[in-house]
Amino acid sequence: MTAQRKRAGSGTMTRREAIRLGTAAAVGAAAGAAMAPFAPSPVQAESVNWQRYKGTTLSLLFYKHPWVDEIEKYFPEFESLTGMKLQHEVIPEVQGREKLVVQMTSGAGDIDAWHASMHVEKRRFWKSGWFQPVNAYLQDKTLTAEDYAWNDITKGAVDAVTQPDKTISALPTFPDPFVMFYRKDLFDQKGWGPPKTLDELEDRAKALHNPPSTYGFVMRGLKNANATPWAFVLFAMGGKYLTPDRKSAMNTPEWIKTMDWYAGMLRKYAPPGVVNFNWYECSAAFIQGQVGMYIDGVNFANQFEDPTKSKIVGKVGYAPLPSGPAGRFAPTFTNAMAVSAQSKHKEAAYLFSEWATSKKNCNRELLGGVGVGRASTWGLPEVKAKAKMPIGWYQAYQESLKISRPGLPEIVDVTQYRDIIGVAIQKAIEGAKSADVIADANKQFQEMLDKTEK
Amino acid sequence: MALIIVYPVLYTGWMSLQEWYASSVTLPKFIALANYQHLAFADPRFREAFFRTLYFAALVVSGEAVLGVAMALLFNREFWGRGLVRTLSILPMVATPTAIALIFVMMYHPTLGVMNYLVTRVGVGPLKWTYSSHTALYALALVDVWEWTPLVMLIALAGLAALPREPYESAVIDGASGPTILWHITLPLLRPILIVAVLFRAIDAIKTFDIIFIMTQGGPSNASETINLLLFNQAFSYFNIGYASSMAVALFAIVMGASLILMKVRRTEW
Repeated sequence: MTAQRKRAGSGTMTRREAIRLGTAAAVGAAAGAAMAPFAPSPVQAESVNWQRYKGTTLSLLFYKHPWVDEIEKYFPEFESLTGMKLQHEVIPEVQGREKLVVQMTSGAGDIDAWHASMHVEKRRFWKSGWFQPVNAYLQDKTLTAEDYAWNDITKGAVDAVTQPDKTISALPTFPDPFVMFYRKDLFDQKGWGPPKTLDELEDRAKALHNPPSTYGFVMRGLKNANATPWAFVLFAMGGKYLTPDRKSAMNTPEWIKTMDWYAGMLRKYAPPGVVNFNWYECSAAFIQGQVGMYIDGVNFANQFEDPTKSKIVGKVGYAPLPSGPAGRFAPTFTNAMAVSAQSKHKEAAYLFSEWATSKKNCNRELLGGVGVGRASTWGLPEVKAKAKMPIGWYQAYQESLKISRPGLPEIVDVTQYRDIIGVAIQKAIEGAKSADVIADANKQFQEMLDKTEK
Repeated sequence: MALIIVYPVLYTGWMSLQEWYASSVTLPKFIALANYQHLAFADPRFREAFFRTLYFAALVVSGEAVLGVAMALLFNREFWGRGLVRTLSILPMVATPTAIALIFVMMYHPTLGVMNYLVTRVGVGPLKWTYSSHTALYALALVDVWEWTPLVMLIALAGLAALPREPYESAVIDGASGPTILWHITLPLLRPILIVAVLFRAIDAIKTFDIIFIMTQGGPSNASETINLLLFNQAFSYFNIGYASSMAVALFAIVMGASLILMKVRRTEW
């Protein structure tokens, strides 16, 4: 399971390594600049020689994730198809990213490909020159199979892996849009459909709210974790992260309105202690039948339908998120298979990424209850015939992919932004004034941008 | 040995004088004491974390010292089942901190947790425990006290076993009462070993990371963010290595300072 690796040391960099890394980044950037923006290629005549890198051993790093659990089962198939050997590690995301950054910073080149969280790593790793752009590989008929069909990838997923210089950093695996979960049984009793607007959502939360037996609504309150559902309200209110010249766009009425709504909803209609709820506590409250409505990542739904864990099996409705004054958006967080720019087997690693995100494997993932960013997969008749989840879940997922939008700002230090806004949200839930916490967050955010976006 | 200990310490010191983000393609830039200046005068988050760390340490160490000594006095007496109770009482100390933290997270859950059930049975609460910025630090301190009191108890118990018999015999002949004997004989005789226990716990409490990281991640609203949590975030979440190194040096200085003060107290005649 665990690959044998050279120890990466302390994560600091010698001058020589830094220069080498800088050079690699410059080469990568130049290559990217020289490449024309990638357009969907016509049907390719030549076929891929999968055995081309026979005997190569690939080192792969994965963050613990349902998509990984599913694809892992088929690794032997890849090994027999290509004659390559896979050494892989699966680590929780935060620790996995630490390891990756240490390895990459030291320039060890030990990792050939990893399952990137684009919503966190996209800009930081791109600026560091750690992503190997795959545009040229996608156009190479001897590397990319005829039926890979880049134009089959959903637009949101393509956007998530495409950098400002039009280089494509990775191949999308799993887009995670936020959706609405609601207690269909309670809604049916009242003759309601899912809420279409933020106002409707609030009215329903108010009507359902009957503590301590039922709370109207729940969403994450814990700092950092709360920055993801926050995006749905922000987009619906018309808020933006950055101005066109990449300065903080926080100090606007939209941000204050968003804070009023977000913190207000949780203060008024959520279970006590929501200020420190991550998805785990939110899901637990929902599964126990304590909550009427819950907004979170679509992939948390599996446990609602698991009779061993849930008191609400078969009682959950799924719907795309409601709209606000500026429209309806589903903040989406995309994972993707990335090839390391430091890898000594880039093309072999690309073959793995291609295989892992092929139609065949996307179909397997969706049939296993894990969403994918491929349009054709969603049209499979088997999805409905062998549905692992209620059909409403598939519909909500698909609808949400159509209105998806990258959920976090594309900046270097996404994590610090999440902490800044996260603490502001917590303070507002506990009673601080929205205008004050936003002003404070804006100041911190701009200071951070000044430091990290040079 | 020198390489394993001295090199990282010196390297951290050297890094604390630089501005450098891991993952950045720009080289570390020497900025002398600017990180320390920022730390001391321009970073309210660090200042809050500094006082919070000391407060948390004082809270848990005093709680553990009082409870630990009380338990040691209890287990120093002969009673039926003493061995079993003593063995059970050190379980919190040997359990995995991560597991403890995860279990307490659910126990503290305001609506689903068992803690609110228990306190409401005795007419208190319900409380929000780690789910409110007003109570989070105290709820964490409670976990720490639950986990580490047995260590203080064990050390105190060893101390009690080694006490001389003569002063007690004289006190009994003079007609001294139990509390008087405790206050004037037992505690003064135990003082050197208790200070060792307090020193161990103080050093550890200042550096507490695991339970806070798992249970609150420093929240809500940074209400339980200690220096160690902030340092971790700066280094491994924001990759701000230079600044995090200066925090590490500051934390090292604080732990050293606390240790020296306690050592001095130990040598002082009262």
